[in-house]
Amino acid sequence: MSIEATPPAWAEALLRDVLQPIDGDSVTGDLLEEYRESIHPVRGPWRADAWYVAQVFGFVWRDARLWGTLFGAAFAGRTALDRLVPTTDFYIRASVSTYLGVTLLLTAAFLAARRSGSSAAGMIAGVATASIGAAISIGGATALLAIWHDPQTFAAVRASGGLGEVFMLPLLMVLPGLILGIFGGLAGAAVRRLRST
Amino acid sequence: MADTLGAFEQAVLLAIVRLDDGAYGRAILKEVQERLERDVAAGAVHATLERLEHKKLIASRLGSGTPVRSGRARRFYRLQPGGVRALNDARAAVNALWHGLEWPLKGLA
Repeated sequence: MSIEATPPAWAEALLRDVLQPIDGDSVTGDLLEEYRESIHPVRGPWRADAWYVAQVFGFVWRDARLWGTLFGAAFAGRTALDRLVPTTDFYIRASVSTYLGVTLLLTAAFLAARRSGSSAAGMIAGVATASIGAAISIGGATALLAIWHDPQTFAAVRASGGLGEVFMLPLLMVLPGLILGIFGGLAGAAVRRLRST
Repeated sequence: MADTLGAFEQAVLLAIVRLDDGAYGRAILKEVQERLERDVAAGAVHATLERLEHKKLIASRLGSGTPVRSGRARRFYRLQPGGVRALNDARAAVNALWHGLEWPLKGLA
């Protein structure tokens, strides 16, 4: 056992941000104890750090998975709608998609920050929601194109922005996820402070 | 009838029963891993403990820290009457499902 062994400081700070304040010491203490007593002596420093980071991402994933799944489903649903019900006027669809995405990212960030009291938790939730959503959306779009890859489908895809938009737009949403996460996080943390005073 | 428990919730509650006064986060995690014979994420156990406490099936209190934890407090858990009822109901439901059958089942695999 190495009592001096220390997990990555950034990962521990990130974990504290997503936890409720009341759990900060006990949960980081549990992970530190496991890291020092069981993981570090057996796996060595690099793999122990990787284990710690994976545990922290597990906490983040649990907080963001519902919103990320909804976010990804919204993107994949839009791709499917454009394929199944082609149109030339994308204004309404684009507006609904945009407002839905913004609402999901803001909600995820607001709730995470209100729970933890940390505005950084909102930012983390925004990025995590957008990242999970991007993975689901790209996976969904790939599956749809694997099923329907006829010229009619590609014409519909081209009309709605092309393959670049189908595969790149979800990845680009990580930046709005960060920005909306900051706003949602500030609001959530403010509400928590107001409720506790 | 008490809350219907999922398999993982039962594993966590039974770990608390087995560990008795020593039921804190890391000990519960290790006990669950040992019983389920697989790696379990700390976040999964923490989320389950939080949910069970919210449902008032368990209660928690903070204890003292140790040097290996850099002095950070341990959160100890204990079963509440609702948790005992929920575990008993879960066991009764499984017993009722298996009633009249021999275990392990033979000739079907």
